[in-house]
Amino acid sequence: MTEILRVDQVTKTYGKRGEKQYQALKGINFAVNSGEFVAIMGASGSGKTTLLNILSTLDKPTTGNVFINHEDNSTLNANQLADFRSQQIGFIFQDFNLLENLTNRENIALPLSLRGISPRKIDPLVDKIATRLGIKEILPKYPAEVSGGQKQRVAAARALVHEPAILLADEPTGALDSKSARELLYTMADLNHNDGITTLMVTHDPFAASFASRILFIKDGKIGEQMLKNGQSRQKFYHLLIDHLDTDE
Amino acid sequence: MIWKLSVTGIKNRLKDYLVLFSGLIVASMIFYMFLSIATNPVFISKDVYGREAYLTYIFTFGIILLVIITSVYLIYANSFLLSMRKQDYGMYMMLGAKSTRIGLLIFSETLLTGFLAVLLGIILGLGLTTIVTKALVGKLGVEITHYKAILPSAIIGTLLFFVIIFLLGALSNVHKLTHTPVIDLLHEDQTPINLNHHPVLRGIEAICGVLLLAVGYYVMTLSTRYIYFLIPTALVTIIAGSFFVFNGVFTAIINYLLNKKSFSYRGINEFTLGQLKFRLQSYTKILTMISILFALALGAITVGLNFGSMKDETQKSFYYDATIVSQTPAVKKAEAKLAITNKQTYHYKEKGMHLYFNRAEFEKQPLKEIEIYFHNNQDNLPTYKVKTLVTAELDKPETAANSIFSQMVPNGIPKKIKLVSQQRWNTLNGQKKFVSYINVKDFAHDFPVIKQIQKEQLKENRNYQDIYLSSKSYNYSNMIGFTSAFEFMGFFLGIAFLTMLASTLMFKVLSGAASDKVRYQMLHEIGARPQLLRSSIRKEIGTLFTMPAILGIVDVLCGLKLFKTLLISPYHNIWIPFTIFIVLYLGYYLLTVTLYEKIVLTNK
Ligand SMILES: Nc1ncnc2c1ncn2[C@@H]1O[C@H](COP(=O)(O)OP(=O)(O)OP(=O)(O)O)[C@@H](O)[C@H]1O
Ligand SMILES: [Mg+2]
Repeated sequence: MTEILRVDQVTKTYGKRGEKQYQALKGINFAVNSGEFVAIMGASGSGKTTLLNILSTLDKPTTGNVFINHEDNSTLNANQLADFRSQQIGFIFQDFNLLENLTNRENIALPLSLRGISPRKIDPLVDKIATRLGIKEILPKYPAEVSGGQKQRVAAARALVHEPAILLADEPTGALDSKSARELLYTMADLNHNDGITTLMVTHDPFAASFASRILFIKDGKIGEQMLKNGQSRQKFYHLLIDHLDTDE
Repeated sequence: MIWKLSVTGIKNRLKDYLVLFSGLIVASMIFYMFLSIATNPVFISKDVYGREAYLTYIFTFGIILLVIITSVYLIYANSFLLSMRKQDYGMYMMLGAKSTRIGLLIFSETLLTGFLAVLLGIILGLGLTTIVTKALVGKLGVEITHYKAILPSAIIGTLLFFVIIFLLGALSNVHKLTHTPVIDLLHEDQTPINLNHHPVLRGIEAICGVLLLAVGYYVMTLSTRYIYFLIPTALVTIIAGSFFVFNGVFTAIINYLLNKKSFSYRGINEFTLGQLKFRLQSYTKILTMISILFALALGAITVGLNFGSMKDETQKSFYYDATIVSQTPAVKKAEAKLAITNKQTYHYKEKGMHLYFNRAEFEKQPLKEIEIYFHNNQDNLPTYKVKTLVTAELDKPETAANSIFSQMVPNGIPKKIKLVSQQRWNTLNGQKKFVSYINVKDFAHDFPVIKQIQKEQLKENRNYQDIYLSSKSYNYSNMIGFTSAFEFMGFFLGIAFLTMLASTLMFKVLSGAASDKVRYQMLHEIGARPQLLRSSIRKEIGTLFTMPAILGIVDVLCGLKLFKTLLISPYHNIWIPFTIFIVLYLGYYLLTVTLYEKIVLTNK
């Protein structure tokens, strides 16, 4: 098993020196192996988004290091960081983050053209991932013309089309109704299971977390404990998780 | 409480506010300058131009145009102001502020902004006007006696105009905001864009647009006899044509490029095109207006400067630069200051009704003149040829040489010119006189000295009046007076137009910046290099600036045909106004890009 992601003693302090400071992350350590589906759970304000922003290189840790594919993020300059994101990372956000002035097809194609893939090869790749996610029909439409669940699938397609090392998702089901949420989660689990896509998802929803193979709990800026699925069924895992959260409170 | 919120709200957007504010200041500055110069008693008095009625008409026309463009500009500035504050207002309303309170807040904010800007603008305008007037007066070469730097009527006019427009703007802002659901104010960024893709309709529009433009351009080449029919027709067809071209042709080009994957799938070209495509729908009107104003402004400068070139033509149509007939110390002193390259002196004796010249002098130094050839081809200047007057014909009545020469000698018209041999001349008695024709190195440079010589000679020699009226310097100074008004008009109207249309476009682009920011943030997140984002911004805004400029330039090139009867050659030296214009326009483009990048590319 190869290690895809390693987070080493990461802390994050908001606020400038001399001003009022707030330490959102207080020394985070964990690693994710290739092919894993990891969920990070925590209450509101526990530092989930902060952590994800650091993992995705959008933000820098105050101290500590993040390695993706054994490469240390902190050594990269602005251009290298941009290239790094466009090559190694796929994103799904709570609020879809699609460009509403591009069609769904163009949205999905963007990471490929950013990587400088030959224009001839782009459409087949887009079609392939769209078929996989069941959104082939809506490719010519604009994001504003499709449903929230479909939008999130388009976002997922865009996150995966360039075959990133890791898929990062921040509350991907947050803006979806329960049916669309369920569909998206099954798709993500399927992609992880059958296509071996390493996934790291941040959520506060136990139902969403139960799709993961491992759950890390973050509390007050620290990783507390973790739960492993260990081959149990999702339903079983979900109930265990609920029990765990109940006793925790 | 709410006032405190308002102040902090403005503080947060201070930079954008400063841009808006300086734009307004410049607008009111220009407006005041134009108004005060155009209505200044000194400039509309007879001693400067001598064509009072005509000029008042031109200036009135200029002021009307300026009012129109300034109004349009202020409307867009106002909408920019609103777009900056929208979200704050929505927030206050969500927090439970009464809409009447918010209304009052918006109203006073808009009006106060406008009032302060125009006040500052007028104060700065006073300084600018003084400088510009000095330059203008220097160019006209007239002495100004009753010039007024501070013109109360212009101050009141400017103030009134801006306050009225801002009052209307404030009312419309209040109306817009209090009639928009709070939720839309808060989520202005996510308001879905009206998507309509009708390729057939676009195709028809594109064809109509091109046809209408063609008709408009063709009409302007027709005989200027029907000018009252031509101008309205051309205006209507060109405005409609431009509108359809923006809506149809440019959209078609963008769609074509979007579908051409080898282009659109490179870097973020796709995104740039998408931005443009969506913009075009909301920009069609403003781009049309800008292309027309661009044409008017560029046309004004071109025509204005072209009038200036008429005085160069005047220069070329005379062979000799000055005629000297006196030997007073004052004249001699002035003559010494000239950089003379050629001097032809002829002596004559005046006796009864005859002027006797020495033929030998003409044989040694033949008289010359300029012959002008006009061409039917409108694009060419007339050509000038130096011709030697045949000495034998100089004293033969009814010959061209004789008639030209008679006008070159004081008192030569009522009296008869005779050429005699050296011996004969020596024996003749009568008053001995002379006339010298001079060429200088640089006429425009020596013009003030030549004028001085003329003044002296007019004082001393009453007959000199006869040839004075047909002299080069007299015609030249006449022409300066005539052309300067046009030059001034064209130049300042052109610059005023340009600054306002370019900043209108700037405000339009910047008004959308807040909602564009989200998109650039997204692109940043999925790994677009900062450099790539910058280049996309430059391309996108560049296209928005270029499109109306191209149409505007074509408009001008075709529109100049209208002036073919008024100007010797409307297309002469056309690169000068074009260069001035494009450099200024480019400046505005760069400013817009810089400001836009500042808003859009700063991370949250
Ligand atoms: N830019 C910032 N400046 C200062 N403090 C911040 C900033 N961003 C987040 N914080 C603080 O850091 C802590 C962690 O925030 P974070 O957004 O990571 O929480 P979260 O776990 O994602 O919460 P939620 O589930 O509500 O999204 C919070 O207390 C928050 O107030
Ligand atoms: Mg969060």
